[in-house]
Amino acid sequence: MPKIIFVSADGVTREVAAGADQSIMQAALAAGVPGIVAECNGAAACATCHCYFDPAYAACVGEIGEQESEMLDFAASERTADSRLSCQVRVMAEMDGMTVRVPALQ
Amino acid sequence: MTSAAPVISDVAYQDLLNDPYPIFKRVRDTASAVFVAAANLTLVTRFDDIVKIERDPVTYSSDNPTSLVNKVMGPTFMRKDGAEHATGRKAIEPSFRSGTIKEHWTPRFAEISERLINSLSGAGEADLFHALAAPMASLSLMEMIGFKEMPWETLALWSQFLIDGAGNYARDAEIERKAMEAGSGIDAAIEAVLDHHRAHPNPSILSSMVHADPPMPIEEIRANIKVIIGGGLNEPRDAILTLTLGLLANPAQKESVLVKPELWPNAFEEAVRWISPIGMYPRRVTRETDLSDVMLPEGLQIGLCVGAANRDDRRFSNPDMFDIFRPRQSHLAFGAGAHFCAGTWVSRQTVGKIVVPMLFERLRNLRLREDAPPLIRGWVFRGPVSLPVRWDA
Repeated sequence: MPKIIFVSADGVTREVAAGADQSIMQAALAAGVPGIVAECNGAAACATCHCYFDPAYAACVGEIGEQESEMLDFAASERTADSRLSCQVRVMAEMDGMTVRVPALQ
Repeated sequence: MTSAAPVISDVAYQDLLNDPYPIFKRVRDTASAVFVAAANLTLVTRFDDIVKIERDPVTYSSDNPTSLVNKVMGPTFMRKDGAEHATGRKAIEPSFRSGTIKEHWTPRFAEISERLINSLSGAGEADLFHALAAPMASLSLMEMIGFKEMPWETLALWSQFLIDGAGNYARDAEIERKAMEAGSGIDAAIEAVLDHHRAHPNPSILSSMVHADPPMPIEEIRANIKVIIGGGLNEPRDAILTLTLGLLANPAQKESVLVKPELWPNAFEEAVRWISPIGMYPRRVTRETDLSDVMLPEGLQIGLCVGAANRDDRRFSNPDMFDIFRPRQSHLAFGAGAHFCAGTWVSRQTVGKIVVPMLFERLRNLRLREDAPPLIRGWVFRGPVSLPVRWDA
């Protein structure tokens, strides 16, 4: 199982073993990572599981969807080039050791 | 220790309608799930329990073959889980996307709002329920669905009759008749425009449905449009009135938001937390399960009281207060999980950024009337049913 390192806005890190059949949001929720609210539970309808992904892993994180991109415009914390909705990113074996930063506000 | 749901039998239905919050608090302090005889339903009122339920659609299903909603409206995706729900939801998504809201709906809804506020501005007094909130919600929903223009009262009546029919647990024949009549009216209104939407793709919901891949079958179009009419009219209407009331009743907060318009989104979220337009919705327990020490049997209908959860003092301090400055925290006014309200962003935009800011901007010295206090009603749906105000015309 790949290990994902979640970093909170105040710098606290937490290592989570993520299942390959999960989204990053599901892995975070299962491990109780603070700061991921996920109001819509993965429907890309709420923008409350927004995270910043390490660009070094862009290839396995994949392309952003159109609906997801529009929803990110409504995110509570600043949108950057590394922003994704974590519910739309599938866990991959190649993500072992990847850092995901959780914003201060959802 | 796990036990059966406790029972509360000394509450009258009228008490729930008038002011459900003391009852909700009593239920919350009693157990995770309590059978309330007046409601004839087991109610869940704690924030964390509702979140847990919404994350587990296998144990707590939306699918209910005997639901009155299905009887009155037909096979809707509100009463489905998993893939069946997702297909229906996906078919309407194009109309609700943030890009569509910004580019298409915002200017249209601003125009309707402007027209309504201009037409009443000379009067100096009005009941904002009929003068603004109800027509605003009705006219914008009409456009969003893609209906031909009709009097706002028609859609508003259809909506009310459908809601009454869906809540007609007493099986009152007259209520059932009106709900069915509204249903026929809606079927005819759909029929009248469907060919147009097939031929001219556009951002409306009917267009999204007929151009979905695969296109939504006609019986599902009919049922889902009824759900959208039943559910899409009273919520924005009530949110407009609740936000206006919250600010008028708290002048210091009103002054702050008028000086700092960036506070409007906070004010909107606080309004729907404070008095959530949808106060309760049902789920069905599919297998015997333990919900925070209460044993729920298979097949049990439970009512998720998000209106109660949004005043859970385990999560919100001074929960009965309207306070736009409370620390930002998510609430359950739009539900949670796969059924999270599709209209959330339309509502945030229309109510919180267009209608209510415009109202305070255009009507000088807007104020409540001491001689005619506002009236708030309901627990399944709750909101002001009358909001008399005055301003300097």
